Amino acid sequence: MWQFFHKLGSPKWFYGIASRFMPWLLGSSLLLMVAGMVWGLAFAPPDYLQGNSYRIIFIHVPTAFLAQSAYVMMAVAGIVTLVWRMKLADVFVKAVAPVGAVLTFLALFTGAVWGKPTWGTWWIWDARLTSMLILLFLYCGVIALGNAIADEKSSARAVAVLVLVGVVNIPIIKYSVEWWNTLHQPATFKLTEKPSMPPEMWVPLLVMVLALYLFFGWIACLRMQNEILYRERRSSWVKAIMGTGNARASAKVTD
Amino acid sequence: MLKLPRLTPRQESQPVLPALLGVLRRDLLANFRRRQELFNPLIFFVMVVALFPLGVSPEVEFLRQSGAGILWVAALLSTLLSLDHLFRHDFDEGVLEQMLLQPQPLYLMVLVKVFSHWLVTGLPLVLMTPVLGVMLHLDGNSIGYLCLTLLVGTPVLSFIGAIGAALTLGLRSAGILLSLLIIPLYIPVLIFGTGTVTAVAAGLPVGSYIALLGALLVVAITCAPFATAAALRISVSNS
Amino acid sequence: MHPQRKRRLTIILFLLVGLGIAVGLVTYAFRQNINLFYDPSQIAAGEAPADVRIRAGGMVEEGSVERDPDSLLVSFNVTDFKHSVTMQYTGILPDLFAEGQGIVAMGKMNNDGVFVADQVLAKHDENYMPPEVAKAMKGKSPAADTSTN
Repeated sequence: MWQFFHKLGSPKWFYGIASRFMPWLLGSSLLLMVAGMVWGLAFAPPDYLQGNSYRIIFIHVPTAFLAQSAYVMMAVAGIVTLVWRMKLADVFVKAVAPVGAVLTFLALFTGAVWGKPTWGTWWIWDARLTSMLILLFLYCGVIALGNAIADEKSSARAVAVLVLVGVVNIPIIKYSVEWWNTLHQPATFKLTEKPSMPPEMWVPLLVMVLALYLFFGWIACLRMQNEILYRERRSSWVKAIMGTGNARASAKVTD
Repeated sequence: MLKLPRLTPRQESQPVLPALLGVLRRDLLANFRRRQELFNPLIFFVMVVALFPLGVSPEVEFLRQSGAGILWVAALLSTLLSLDHLFRHDFDEGVLEQMLLQPQPLYLMVLVKVFSHWLVTGLPLVLMTPVLGVMLHLDGNSIGYLCLTLLVGTPVLSFIGAIGAALTLGLRSAGILLSLLIIPLYIPVLIFGTGTVTAVAAGLPVGSYIALLGALLVVAITCAPFATAAALRISVSNS
Repeated sequence: MHPQRKRRLTIILFLLVGLGIAVGLVTYAFRQNINLFYDPSQIAAGEAPADVRIRAGGMVEEGSVERDPDSLLVSFNVTDFKHSVTMQYTGILPDLFAEGQGIVAMGKMNNDGVFVADQVLAKHDENYMPPEVAKAMKGKSPAADTSTN
């Protein structure tokens, strides 16, 4: 167990294992994404009330879902950074923060596009929308702080503290629809109850969520590999990769 | 960094309270000797408030409606500005490094430092609010509640802001970065602060707003110094 | 007790007391209406203040929508199946606005007990279903219909 943990901390080991997993992650995510898209956009039945405009749920829910869970993952990595000083955890935080920001932006954007035909407004300052906007700000803060501190070690720990402070926002986002009487509807998927839509709608939605998770895994690995190569650019194993398999390695590195 | 001898656990049973009072006294004295730095955020506060009647509309109806919001936003911004010198001088002069080596818990040290910072920056904002409130045509009842919300709210701003100040200590573009990190965390305070005054103006019960602000204050006092202390250790070890 | 451990214990106690107070204050706060939202029953009970911008919402009552032929003025009743309140709105309603549909409106109560809205938004819940299912449920029982809107 502990040996595995130490191995996980080694950037070189991670670089190798990620290369092996990444094609599978990308392949399965693209497959599921295409399947979910086609199923959701073309074959799932329209909603009795919203007609076809509800179909944006197949993008909105996965992005919003992942935007929040990416932050929670960053917070877990932040704890790992502070307690065990594991380098790889910080590599994860640095690599994932911009991805999370993009996902949050996409969730807000698709929400606005969905809000116009259903609610009748692009934007409203209700609790759910505002707390998602705060999440976007938090991501921006994490990215900015990470870039501002030159020293790798203190940058890692400072960012971890900031991420952990910001984590109070996550339960607020989650429960905003229940605590306040928001215009935003409550969650479609709940852990304890069955989904509030028929299977021909929720199965493609679940497929899309899964696809985006896998895609997130792939892009996280890719960005972490880049970060590792940059940080370890002076080590012999990186030089070896860059020197011998030049064409292959650089093809893998550019994103 | 110069390695100073750490005190052994047996020596650490020194009383905490006198040490904390010493920190408070020293901080207040040091602030008093740098008066001009304290006045700057206050002048900024007045200037920002003055921008709204001149820049948006001097109409009594508009000012009465948005006065509380204007004062809250201005107080928030001027707190952000004042945060810069919360730890900066101690950091530059090496006092902070000494403080980290003290046997007294850093948590309590931070608590006292932020409190003394609030005494010289947040409290004056609260005291100036009635005057500015009258200039924005707020009625007496609203001004009273506005002062109350600022009295409860500005310490929250100081305590949350201290985390950012500690994180950005010693960085080159600390000012703008500090704002970026901290403003998202200030939003709830702002919402409940102005919500109180809106509710007062509407003749609604305000107990729940004040209770929520109070809850934020208690959480900020108990939890924020931990994060601040952790951030201080990181920043000092970095220098 | 070891002094350092004692000190640590004091800090933890301080923290717990603080969090306890915070939880108490929050539960007290949530017993009151914090977000200026009123349902028709609360408005009927006279809880909503006049001439203050509030939010109100409920279901649009069947057969209550009246459109002014010369202007964009619309009036309709909003109900929570216990009480209902009359709303007036001038402007273009959202596409999903329909009788039996949930809405949230922002505006002020006037002195006649009419809610004058300046913004009307359609609220939908988390239930999605194909039109055939909705029709089937509508046919079966009116109660099912109200719960799915």
